[in-house]
Amino acid sequence: MLRLLLLITCTALFLAGSLFSSTACAWDEQEHSPEQIKFFETEIKPILVEHCFKCHGAKGTPKGGLSLTSRSGLLKGGDTGPSISLEAPSESILLEAVNYESYEMPPSGKLPQATIAALAKWVEMGLPWTPGDEVAHVEPEEHGPPPVNDETKKFWSFQPVARPNVPAVGNREWVRNPIDAFVLHGLEEAKLHPAPPATKTALLRRAYYDLIGLPPSPEEVQAFLGDNSPDAFERVVDQLLKSPHYGERWGRHWLDLVRYAETNSYERDGEKPFVWRYRDYVIRSLNDDKPYDQFVKEQIAGDELPQVTSDSIIATGYYRLGIWQDEPVDAEQELFEDLDDLVRTTGEVYLGMTVGCARCHDHKLDPIPQTDYYGMLAFFRNVKRFGDRSHESVLAASVRTLGTEDSIEKFERLIREHKEATKDNQKELGKLDRRIKADLVGVENDEWKAEQARIDIAKTRIGKILTQEDFDRYVALTAERDRLRDFRPPGNEQALCVSEHGTTAPPTHVLIRGNAHVEGDIVEPHFPTVLSPPTPKIVPPGDGINSTGRRLALANWLTGSENPLTARVMVNRIWHYHFGRGIVRSTSDFGFQGVAPTHPELLDWLASDFVDSGWRIKRLHKLIMLSNTYQMSSQPNEQALAKDPINNLMWRFDMRRLSSEEIRDSILAVNGSLNRDKMFGPSIYVPIPEEVLAGQSRPGAGWGQSSPEDRARRSIYIHVKRSLVVPMMANFDGADTDASCPIRFVTTQPTQALGMLNSDFINEQAEVFAKYLVANTGSTLQEQVAIGLRRVSQREPTTEEIERGVQLIKSLQQKYKLSPEVALKQFCVMALNLSEFMYID
Amino acid sequence: MTNEQPTRNFCGRTRREFLWQTGAGFTGTALAGLLGDDGFLANQTVAADGVSQWHNPLAAKPPHFPAKAKNVIFLYMYGGPSHIDTFDYKPAMKGMDNKTVDVKTFGRGGHKNQGRIVETRWDFAQHGKCGQWVSTLFPHLATCVDDIAFIHSMTADSPIHGSAMLMMNSGKILSGSPCIGSWSNYGLGTVNENLPGFVVMLDPRGGPISGAKNWSSGYMPATYQATVMRSQGTPILDLKAPDGVSREMQREMLDTLRGYNEEHQEPRIDNSDLAARIASYELAYKMQAAAPEAVDLSQEDAKTIDLYGVNDKKTAVFGRQCLLARRLVERGVRFVQLYSGGNHNDANWDAHGDLKLNHDLHAGETDKPIAGLLKDLKQRGMLDETLIVWGGEFGRQPTAEYAEGTGRDHNAYGFTMWMAGGGIKGGVSVGKTDELGSAAVEDRLHVKHLHATILNQLGLDPNRLSYFYNGLDQKLVGVEGAEPIHQIIA
Repeated sequence: MLRLLLLITCTALFLAGSLFSSTACAWDEQEHSPEQIKFFETEIKPILVEHCFKCHGAKGTPKGGLSLTSRSGLLKGGDTGPSISLEAPSESILLEAVNYESYEMPPSGKLPQATIAALAKWVEMGLPWTPGDEVAHVEPEEHGPPPVNDETKKFWSFQPVARPNVPAVGNREWVRNPIDAFVLHGLEEAKLHPAPPATKTALLRRAYYDLIGLPPSPEEVQAFLGDNSPDAFERVVDQLLKSPHYGERWGRHWLDLVRYAETNSYERDGEKPFVWRYRDYVIRSLNDDKPYDQFVKEQIAGDELPQVTSDSIIATGYYRLGIWQDEPVDAEQELFEDLDDLVRTTGEVYLGMTVGCARCHDHKLDPIPQTDYYGMLAFFRNVKRFGDRSHESVLAASVRTLGTEDSIEKFERLIREHKEATKDNQKELGKLDRRIKADLVGVENDEWKAEQARIDIAKTRIGKILTQEDFDRYVALTAERDRLRDFRPPGNEQALCVSEHGTTAPPTHVLIRGNAHVEGDIVEPHFPTVLSPPTPKIVPPGDGINSTGRRLALANWLTGSENPLTARVMVNRIWHYHFGRGIVRSTSDFGFQGVAPTHPELLDWLASDFVDSGWRIKRLHKLIMLSNTYQMSSQPNEQALAKDPINNLMWRFDMRRLSSEEIRDSILAVNGSLNRDKMFGPSIYVPIPEEVLAGQSRPGAGWGQSSPEDRARRSIYIHVKRSLVVPMMANFDGADTDASCPIRFVTTQPTQALGMLNSDFINEQAEVFAKYLVANTGSTLQEQVAIGLRRVSQREPTTEEIERGVQLIKSLQQKYKLSPEVALKQFCVMALNLSEFMYID
Repeated sequence: MTNEQPTRNFCGRTRREFLWQTGAGFTGTALAGLLGDDGFLANQTVAADGVSQWHNPLAAKPPHFPAKAKNVIFLYMYGGPSHIDTFDYKPAMKGMDNKTVDVKTFGRGGHKNQGRIVETRWDFAQHGKCGQWVSTLFPHLATCVDDIAFIHSMTADSPIHGSAMLMMNSGKILSGSPCIGSWSNYGLGTVNENLPGFVVMLDPRGGPISGAKNWSSGYMPATYQATVMRSQGTPILDLKAPDGVSREMQREMLDTLRGYNEEHQEPRIDNSDLAARIASYELAYKMQAAAPEAVDLSQEDAKTIDLYGVNDKKTAVFGRQCLLARRLVERGVRFVQLYSGGNHNDANWDAHGDLKLNHDLHAGETDKPIAGLLKDLKQRGMLDETLIVWGGEFGRQPTAEYAEGTGRDHNAYGFTMWMAGGGIKGGVSVGKTDELGSAAVEDRLHVKHLHATILNQLGLDPNRLSYFYNGLDQKLVGVEGAEPIHQIIA
């Protein structure tokens, strides 16, 4: 990396005028008198040795690219240019630095004034140096970053996608669609056999969790088991893809990727207004099978598209999901932190390129020069910050009213009027409230807290502190208050979205070492050069749209036919979510450091098929799920384990544990209390134990209460507060939201067991489960246990399994004197802890 | 973590973690053949039940080099204690109260070039053989100075609580990175499987700003995050079985559960996650006994209770926490962080209004407990291997924040922290601030040097301990690296 930076510095030097280099070359050792050289040796060299050489010496990589072990090193300088100006000695960066005017060198503390004066004198003399004592710094070769050249451009993922031929295989009967041919081809080469088909129950459970994140009901299991027609499974897949709950499951994957959260992090961790509309947009888009290219375009440039819709505006909420520091230490630097979040997230999510690594220097592992980072950043350079401290500033920069111009005007007028009316009402009502409140005695103070009770209390004051007219007015004002609350102006909605400063963007500079205060060359918006991309076609959208059109150019290129990465990355993600691992395991890194694809041809076949058929995600789901590859059993097989222990060749289906959301949703589903019907809208709050709230600086702040019906909704609707995570979501590896989360961890920890045995949540749900079993099954213990086990495992339990449960319940009743209800509840706690419940074959 | 530099291919992580990140770990397949060469097998211990293999990611790992400190107790003075009113004596300010001087400051009130001096409200005296100046805020601690190394020239990147706290805990002013206790968990694991490796105890007035972000494992798995422990009541969330469920009864439920789970595991024997899961219930069961024992002070004698000030109302809370910290490190908890101060305003050290009131309160609550901790550790021979770190996210300005009053704004340009035990020299000081204490001028040090020192004492090379994330070998001390503070290392 440094070698290249130095190279850039040298080139810059050369271009900036060969003055320095010529001066350096022209330096004649005779130029300096022996006294001057003596001065260097006795006064200056010891300073350099003591205070500078540790970081800017001959050993190791000199910091900032600056080596002080030679005169030429000083003149050449480092990242920010020559450290010495022989023409204007007092303006030398070196002197500024020791005076703590720009850099602060040495960082351990300012040098004594006399030492600084000596250095100044030395620079003034023209840098006398002992002849022959110069130690040139040699950069070690192997640490250079990969350059962009014909060689690196040949890397597989940078090459255009070409549709490969489907390979011929021996066992043709096993091939149900081209996916199987590619997989079987690999297996046959390794002399391995695909696992037998999964059982019908295992397959059904797999498909349900996979597509909707919920288990099939016992009736659905029965129906499938009884259906022996050849297309039985296909019809299940079709039905699941049509289910509104499909979007709730797959939307969650997308929300992980785009670091979806509903608050800003940091000190206030304030709420992002209307952010939930973005979540709803994602769910709806997936349910509608919106083509992926359109989905991408809407999020990147929904406000600049030829057809701007409410949906496409809401989609640009994508830009507003990240962390936001409302009280930056360094406002300029913070702006680039925000932009970095956009470059990083966009690069990884859509392109599978870790462009973010080239912020401070050229990418160390991939051929992405620093100029490419800023070329990408330039597409976002004109985007307004999320806000500027206040809530009003957030509303101004990031919230927009949806609808046509006329309707917006009307809506805003209504809102204004409503606000004013509410304010007037509060003022008038408040006056009377205060008068009555001052007169309250004893228990009335408590009663007063309930608004409904106030009129009754006021009534008792007529003729005392209130006249009849006062009282009548109080009643009228109260009615008016209720009316204003119930009848907010209908119609237009507001959305969290992107906005730009205007139709022209400020210049984008390369920032030296990523420092916002040290600007380098100006770069224009451009795509990563290693992809040999076209020049962006940037056209301001016009039509009164106040932006540059840069993001639209980016969106068009991302989804254009020449882009080698977008489709590959997306089909690989879909594969990853179906199989628990991608064809490229590093789903957000398709670069040199990423993991090579196990089935490169399959990946390319899927990518080209995906694009050719209109970027349809549901079609791809179906293709994958109807393959024999997907329908294999997860059973181990000794021979295959020995040859391919991590199943790279896909000789079986990999087991997986349920995600945090699936675990919670399934608990509610099996005990019959899941509120599936209520979708969308502002997020809900589930109870968080007091011990966890105690970790907040204001315990309980920013966490509300939802009704029992809302609390029983699916986990995707739980409020995502960055500084306060619901324990169950945290325990079972929910996505960390500060950055894009392409792959979730799956940890196994004792804290999970503690939560699943002892938490209020699990015990309440087990109680609901027990009541459900009593109400919905026969009265015998055997039946209750059987149905309970069937609901958690979605299969018929064996006699032994039933008997074991019955024994537990009986034993709990006998030994610990539990009532039948409580004993059944304890059985339910146990049942919800079964590995079979938590893991899918 | 082995003593070898991790292979480049795996970017500083164990192979298992690498495979996991890339999707393979989900299956928990028989990875033994693949994993045998990097110490993974050596990191396996047998599960609590004595039979199942239990792949504990927190299994104890050897340090990079012999450690000076086995444990760390970080006494976090949340809000930012004023260095010039505690340990950084500024005689030149005497008689300057209320005088307006030119001084560059940067705090919550922004950048200023001038301010009204607030002279310290406490007397200073020299203490111990080393002659360290300590104000009357810390009469007990003043008797321990010969065991302490003071760092008077600490600097940080932000004078704003939220980001400064993240920096002190995770090395970055942006949220999302693992905190230092997580790095310790990641690098060294824990020697007592029945207790967490990293414990945080909070002030009963509330948590710090940004709450759990301060003890989060950031981009690392949640395995490495802190467990919040309470000094009263049930120590750990969900540790206690619900009312009506006795230990015997829970045992019986777990035995039944185990029966089912082992049958489920049998045809899937290659999936080690299932075995780990079974073992994790046994571990949880043991933890339910181990954690309450660890926080049970009834085993302590009256002298010890008194030494920490547990019986004095003022010092009871922090005294109890300090005593628990000792008990935890005794039982092998690697990293304990205690918060003095919580919530907002004067509920912590953030003395914007009345400096005297604020610091008298918080120093009064913590002085005796901290001195008690140092003395107790020393008399038990534990101080040598227990590193104590004291300080807040920044210090305070020499000048007043408002036209009236004694409140001081934040100051990240220079402040004092101290360390003791765990291979740190006693009775030494490093660095200086200017004569007003407005900025560090000599031997300036940064939070990353403090972090480097802590890791170094734990036997971890701060420039080698890395975690591959986002295309980069991330380090607590930043990609550029940092040296420990050699001047204070014994």
